[in-house]
Amino acid sequence: MAAVIEFQRVTKIYRRLFSEEQLAALSDVSFEMESGHVCAFLGPNGAGKTTSISMLMGFFFPTSGQIRVFGRPPGDLAAKEQIGFLPENFAFHKFLTAPKLLRFHLQLAGRNPGGADTLIAGLLAKVKLNGYENLKIGRYSRGMVQRIGIAQALLCDPQLLVLDEPTSGLDPAGRREVLHLLAELKAEGKTIFLSSHILPEVEQIADHVVIINRGKMVRAGNLRDLLASGGQVEILADRVPDELRQSALRGASIEPAQNGLRVLIDGSRKREAVEALWAAGCDVIAMNPQRSTLEELFLKEVDQPGGAR
Amino acid sequence: MTKVRAIAWNTFSSLLRNKIVILFCAGCICVLLLLLTPLLVLRNGRSAQNPELMQMAVLPVIATMMQFVSGFGSLLAAWSAADAVAGEMRSGTILAVLARPVRRWQFLLGKFLGVQLMMLVFVILMLGLNYLLAWIGGATISTSPWVLIVYPMVRYMIYSALGILLVTVMHPILAFCIVLVMMIAAGLAAPANPETFMPGWLRTGLFYVLPSSNLLSETRFLTITRATLRAALWTDHATALIYGLDYALVCFLLAAWIFRSRSLSRD
Repeated sequence: MAAVIEFQRVTKIYRRLFSEEQLAALSDVSFEMESGHVCAFLGPNGAGKTTSISMLMGFFFPTSGQIRVFGRPPGDLAAKEQIGFLPENFAFHKFLTAPKLLRFHLQLAGRNPGGADTLIAGLLAKVKLNGYENLKIGRYSRGMVQRIGIAQALLCDPQLLVLDEPTSGLDPAGRREVLHLLAELKAEGKTIFLSSHILPEVEQIADHVVIINRGKMVRAGNLRDLLASGGQVEILADRVPDELRQSALRGASIEPAQNGLRVLIDGSRKREAVEALWAAGCDVIAMNPQRSTLEELFLKEVDQPGGAR
Repeated sequence: MTKVRAIAWNTFSSLLRNKIVILFCAGCICVLLLLLTPLLVLRNGRSAQNPELMQMAVLPVIATMMQFVSGFGSLLAAWSAADAVAGEMRSGTILAVLARPVRRWQFLLGKFLGVQLMMLVFVILMLGLNYLLAWIGGATISTSPWVLIVYPMVRYMIYSALGILLVTVMHPILAFCIVLVMMIAAGLAAPANPETFMPGWLRTGLFYVLPSSNLLSETRFLTITRATLRAALWTDHATALIYGLDYALVCFLLAAWIFRSRSLSRD
């Protein structure tokens, strides 16, 4: 499957004019995203997420490396025709109403806004802004602004959605609706590249994850694999001999369970542990991988000393 | 063209609501009203006694007012253009606009045309004011109005292109101040002016480099104190206007060239 987004050894260094001072916002970042996937782009504040998204959209230029979107350079008109973009803290022309803003964006996309009333009404209903057609956007609440931002991103039925903090400013109900909407779009086969700090919600819809910290990529891959790998394994056994607690199961957490004992051990030592239990004549009832959460994975990656730069 | 037209219309609507532009215009109206008072007093005091004397006294007042309005228009054009681009960067609306399949030069062209649309409204209002002042002064402007529309428009194109060029590399207030200094310097360097403190080489240099407001002044052809159009060859008009359009085009192309590689972020 062709990659929709490609970052190849991308570095971005900000330099101050007339000064030697420089700041590496991104260093040697490489990843790919395939069509039809939802990719969560994660990182703590100042990690370089917005810089990466800005370069992806052609607003900034990388110092070195290459970015391709639909196989084209960022900013290419043919690529932009297939992208719906929601910037972080979406800004708008305050004097416009929602239908006028959407008509304006339709014109910017080179489409005739005449006869687009049904499309606009449908989009406003989708983001629950129907009934506010005559209200100027300057009078919208933060959550309503975010919704109109999402509506404009969906306007031309884009193949790729680039969403920078799509649930920011929304209340819990609003966040749930946006996630529901994103899940629908995923089911329609859209490719979604989103950055967010609300990890439990991202975990529900993302199937790929890219984590960056201090401008460097620390983890990328399939979310399910990442959550399973490096996690702990739960082994249920009828008993655990004392000598094993000091040898094969050293460091494992052992606690009573319904049918025996529950041994929680690092995934890399599971084979050694099970073989030792069998050798000792114990009955291994079950073995289950313990899935960590995205939040745990994220914190583990970004808290690692020297994990990035 | 749909994209450029949409940006132009949006810019025009935005400028009509721009607080600084409104403040500019309110200030201009206040000054005009202050100048109108002595004009009306002069008219009432002299018209009955000596119409010739009235013409001589009133029309220079009108000429001064027109010069003021014209100079104000140039500054308004420069500020509006600079703010139209900088405002989008400041608020971040530029990100949503340029995420659409719009080229950067199309964005700048839309902004430029939006400003020209506003300046056209300004020029038409100014033209109305011309006729109103002439009527108050008891004179009739016996000329076709195209000179009064085209010349200021070309002048405003230059200043708005300059504003856009400067704002692609600096803060709009600094860009406006530079345009203001350029306007003053161009006025001082004009050959029509009496000797100034400037050395000859500097004066000549500035005259060639800066936009010549004098050359592009409609008052070259319109003698407001006689309220008639001086006879001029069409080649005179063509040369002056092509010079102005060329100056504006060069400024705009430079702005587009700089803007294409500029990083866009919320300021």
